[in-house]
Amino acid sequence: MNKTISISRYNPEQDSQPQLQTYQVVSEHSTSVLDALLQVQQQDPSLSLRWSCRMAICGSCGVMINGIPKLGCKTFVRDYPEQLVISPLAHFAVEKDLIVDMSPFLQHLSAVKPYLINAEKSLQPHKQTPAQLAKYQQFANCINCGLCYSACPQFGLNPEFIGPAAITLAQRYNLDSRDQGKAVRMPQLNSKNGVWACTFVGFCSEVCPKKVDPAAAVNQGKVASASDFIISMFTP
Amino acid sequence: MTPFTEPPKRSDEPIWWALFSAGGVCFAVLMPGSILALALLPALGLTSADSLNYARVSALLYQALYGMAGLAFVGGVICLPLFHTAHRIQHGLHDLKLGGGLLSKICCYGLAAFASAIAIGLLLAGQLQ
Ligand code: FES
Repeated sequence: MNKTISISRYNPEQDSQPQLQTYQVVSEHSTSVLDALLQVQQQDPSLSLRWSCRMAICGSCGVMINGIPKLGCKTFVRDYPEQLVISPLAHFAVEKDLIVDMSPFLQHLSAVKPYLINAEKSLQPHKQTPAQLAKYQQFANCINCGLCYSACPQFGLNPEFIGPAAITLAQRYNLDSRDQGKAVRMPQLNSKNGVWACTFVGFCSEVCPKKVDPAAAVNQGKVASASDFIISMFTP
Repeated sequence: MTPFTEPPKRSDEPIWWALFSAGGVCFAVLMPGSILALALLPALGLTSADSLNYARVSALLYQALYGMAGLAFVGGVICLPLFHTAHRIQHGLHDLKLGGGLLSKICCYGLAAFASAIAIGLLLAGQLQ
């Protein structure tokens, strides 16, 4: 079946602003939006886009599909019988066509030190009970695709907001029984650009392709930050 | 954009958020009950008009539990909901790009604090009489 799709094109060396261009693709039952984009790239090799795994693992193929942030490889053309408009992820600067500059997101991510911090140099494995694992496991499924940043109106208003995924990963490690790094992560969460910039819109959790539920993590972070606030009042 | 170097300043938001959360609970729990008991049921004639006569209400507000009942009522039905409202307006102004900074913060929470002070002041004045 032939399908017309529109793609936002932008070449910073030539264009003053992005423009929609339409293309014809062949769409079968299993054609993903990423497949369609790769067909277009065959017709027009100047189209730039990011992708790698084609199986919703690498998190690199995020785009706006009819204005909603989605992974191209996890979204099917068949679900868009009417129009299908593909544009770059919102709230990020566009580098070319569908490629955005993810560095603000990556900086926020590294600011919360999203890795196990543990001074203990033991060669023994760190044991964890299923209950201890369950506390953070859901938050460990993040693939850093950045869709939640495109969904977040507060990140759109304030790019300094460290954002849903970074806060989720901070929670993921803060809740891990093997980790001792909470004290170095909390200052980021406690700041006005940390958990407190969130107004609990919840769209981040709706668009998350891995059902990580960043909104829940941010709200847990608010409780953690509020108790940190109270503790700080009683400690010098 | 520069990488984070020193830790950012702690936000005072936990205070407002705590008041907002407490106010939300009061809004959800106490407010409907109060409206039902003080407005709807009497208006529908389902409670006797006498149950809200001056002597009873002033006794409840000023004397019950050494005046603590009145304080809890004013706190839960007036003060905390005011802070809840102020918090929503403050963040709504930020969303509309009309404020959200220090000035709107002072206006929103200041107004809530001012109105709360009047409510508690009137209550205490009545209790001390
Ligand atoms: S290509 Fe890897 S997530 Fe889509």
